[in-house]
Amino acid sequence: MPEKEYITNLLPKEETTQSKPLRYISKHRPQVAEEEKQSKRPAKTMGPAKMPVPSTKNYLKKHSKEPGLPEKKPFKYPDDERKRPPIPCKKDVPLMGLKSNKNFVTENALENVTAIPRKPTKIYCDTRKGDKHLLQPSGLEPNYVQKTNYGEVPPYLKKREEEMKKAQEQYDAYISEHVKQGAMKHLSEEERESILAGLKKNWEAVHHDYQGMSVVTDTIMKKNIKERLEMMMKQLERDIEIIERHKTIYIAN
Amino acid sequence: MSERKSHEFPQLKLESIIGFNGRSPSGLIVHPDREHIVYHLGYVVIVENINTQEQTLLSGHHNDVSCLTVSKSGRYLASGQIIYMGFKADIIVWNYETKDIHCRFTLHKVKVQALDISPNDKYLLSLGGQDDGSVVLWNISAKEAICGSPAQAVTAGVTLCGKFANTSDLLFMTGGEYCLRIWDVDLKNRKVRPTEVNLGPYKRIVQCIAVEEDDSYFYCGTTTGDILCVTMKTSTLNVIGPQKKMFSRGVQSLILVKTGGHLELLVGAGDGTVAIVKDKSTKFQRTKNSHKLKGSIMSLSLRGAGHQFFVGTDTSNMYRFNYMEFTCKLLNTGHSSAVNDIIFPAGVPKLFLTCGAEQIRVWHTPSQKELLRIVVNNMTCNALDIAKDGSVIVSAWNDGRIRGYYPESGKIMYQIENAHNRGVTSIAFMSDAKRIVSGGGEGQVRVWEVSTGYTHKKDVIKTGLVESMKEHKGCVTQIKVFPTDQHCVSVSTDGTCIIWNLEKFQRDAVLFANTLFQCACIHPDCCQILTSGTDRNVAYWEVVDGLQIRSLEGAKSGSINALDISADGKYFITGGDDHLLKMWNYDEGNVIFVGIGHGGSIKRVKISPDQKFIISVGEDGAILHWAYPIKSES
Repeated sequence: MPEKEYITNLLPKEETTQSKPLRYISKHRPQVAEEEKQSKRPAKTMGPAKMPVPSTKNYLKKHSKEPGLPEKKPFKYPDDERKRPPIPCKKDVPLMGLKSNKNFVTENALENVTAIPRKPTKIYCDTRKGDKHLLQPSGLEPNYVQKTNYGEVPPYLKKREEEMKKAQEQYDAYISEHVKQGAMKHLSEEERESILAGLKKNWEAVHHDYQGMSVVTDTIMKKNIKERLEMMMKQLERDIEIIERHKTIYIAN
Repeated sequence: MSERKSHEFPQLKLESIIGFNGRSPSGLIVHPDREHIVYHLGYVVIVENINTQEQTLLSGHHNDVSCLTVSKSGRYLASGQIIYMGFKADIIVWNYETKDIHCRFTLHKVKVQALDISPNDKYLLSLGGQDDGSVVLWNISAKEAICGSPAQAVTAGVTLCGKFANTSDLLFMTGGEYCLRIWDVDLKNRKVRPTEVNLGPYKRIVQCIAVEEDDSYFYCGTTTGDILCVTMKTSTLNVIGPQKKMFSRGVQSLILVKTGGHLELLVGAGDGTVAIVKDKSTKFQRTKNSHKLKGSIMSLSLRGAGHQFFVGTDTSNMYRFNYMEFTCKLLNTGHSSAVNDIIFPAGVPKLFLTCGAEQIRVWHTPSQKELLRIVVNNMTCNALDIAKDGSVIVSAWNDGRIRGYYPESGKIMYQIENAHNRGVTSIAFMSDAKRIVSGGGEGQVRVWEVSTGYTHKKDVIKTGLVESMKEHKGCVTQIKVFPTDQHCVSVSTDGTCIIWNLEKFQRDAVLFANTLFQCACIHPDCCQILTSGTDRNVAYWEVVDGLQIRSLEGAKSGSINALDISADGKYFITGGDDHLLKMWNYDEGNVIFVGIGHGGSIKRVKISPDQKFIISVGEDGAILHWAYPIKSES
């Protein structure tokens, strides 16, 4: 039995021609064309480059291309520069006939005998084979404990603490100042006393007037005066009582 | 009457026609402008551009066109027709430039046999058919007859062909059964005077005449298969040949070609041979150039001087030949007889299938070219269907067989022998393509099953009968299966339409009408069906109870053979013997578009799956491609 066939396969296949990418055209083309247009051509107008003609004497010589021997150098000892000047000769006459009596041999011997022996460098060994290391930087020897200022607060910290404290104080002062400026005015004790005394004095004056009034209030005028005085006294009494009752008084501004 | 009325409606736009009536002698002519070919199909004459394939239709005849000619200058076309016994057949002279009717001549009875236009476009020569037997000369510019005369002696048979001389308007030759005449025209006395050509001992039936350029000789092709060369002056036979290897089934068409100074004859024979023969000095000896085509060569026509020529065969194939290389190319092909059915593969508007006598063809819609042809000799395919996935084509044949084909190779997949004893007339696939419902000429509706089996170590396809349902008394003309596969509807010429239950294989409903039902279609919502038949009515039926809802008069004359409904169910299309394609509104039941263009009865019509075009097929073998007039909403 043949494969399954489908009628849609009869439809002519649409030929899909892959369109070629466009031919490459250099972007410098217009420039080239422009240059082509100009009649002057650099190489043609300038002629060949002017160069010195090579000399006929420098022809190629025999064996010149073979590797030659290195150039000769005078012999030198490697320690030539470190060498001390040679010992004076036996026959050499000292300068101006000066001569020292110093016995260098004994002098040197004495110097060495009396010299304080050098302390050996401290080392430690960490393996069986005896690998040596310096003890000093290893941390095994107590270095810092030996220091004179060991255990003290370093001066820079102290200085810093002081600075901090000072700054804090300054800040607090500034804040309180600021608060004070914004706050209500506080009536001081003296002012309070003086106000109180003034009020009492006023009251006594009013009271004196009151006592000096006639007993019978028969006219409207008298009545009005009496009422006014009573009003004033009452007001003063109320003020005095308020001020006496409160120790601290703020004045709203 | 209906034709006159149909002009009032908006017309469907005809996009193209596939088809060609190759059976008439010289029915395919290359126009002298070398750009167009002229041929006829059914009632219409078609002028087609060779390169662009653009077609112009010249319609004016009332029946089949029988003969065609083009004047030498190309100014005029003339076409003659056949008509029923007792009526007079028209000759129409067309103005080629404007493509309209120049004049209409009506004189010949029943059939116009042959036409020719004189070299200076002055006169038209026409020959009547068997029932007429006269030759008439017409003045084209004056649009009148000049004179007429009996075309042949009483003892002779039909005159088949006539030809004007090349140098004179007043000299022509006619030839036919045992009769070959040269005619002189006497314009003054309005007479034509014949001179019999003396053929001596030879008795020949002349089928075609070709005249030499200087009118010294003319050549006649005969049914015997030889060519006669006659001297014009003396009216005597000069040469007859070829003596050996005569053309079998006769020389049907003949053309003279001058190549390189010497004359050659291009011969088209009845057995399909196109050959070049040498001139009379060698007694028409055959050359190597010979090509055998299918069918008989009915027309040969040179393009220009003759570097190319066109060949038309009676199997409706058009070929283009290159004269020098003698190679041919199939240019155009069509059904040569009635197209019985057309279908679209589901959802593929680019392809459609048609069937007719001996053939099933698959067409490519955009190019109008044939993609596949399945041929069964001597049988007629009445109906066909394709599986929903497009994997099988099943066809109903008049030899009582159902044949299934592979759709690509066209090879046979299975064949059900003796499916119906009076020929299978209708067929339909169920949606899974495993079952086929077929109807036969005896009136039975049968359900077949196709399955794959395994025998002799091979996969084979087995077919078997599932059920046979015997209710119809007449030929089952169409079967349509409902999309649900549970029901199908069959219509019959006994005046019944039955809705079958395909699960119980019983009749669900039967509809009676006093008509020979020709077609049915199911509305897409499956609630209603449409039927129509010879009573010219389109009937709407309810599926559930089988009651008729509505009946519309579909045509004023002639039965309605074709129905198809659009996928949205809003419109349907009818076509019938009145040659008109009508588009209807389904709900309103009124005609909204009319398509005029068919030159014969419409057999089937289909709307493309994408609702972009309509294809209708006719009894004359034409396949017409119409634009769908309503833009689909999607």
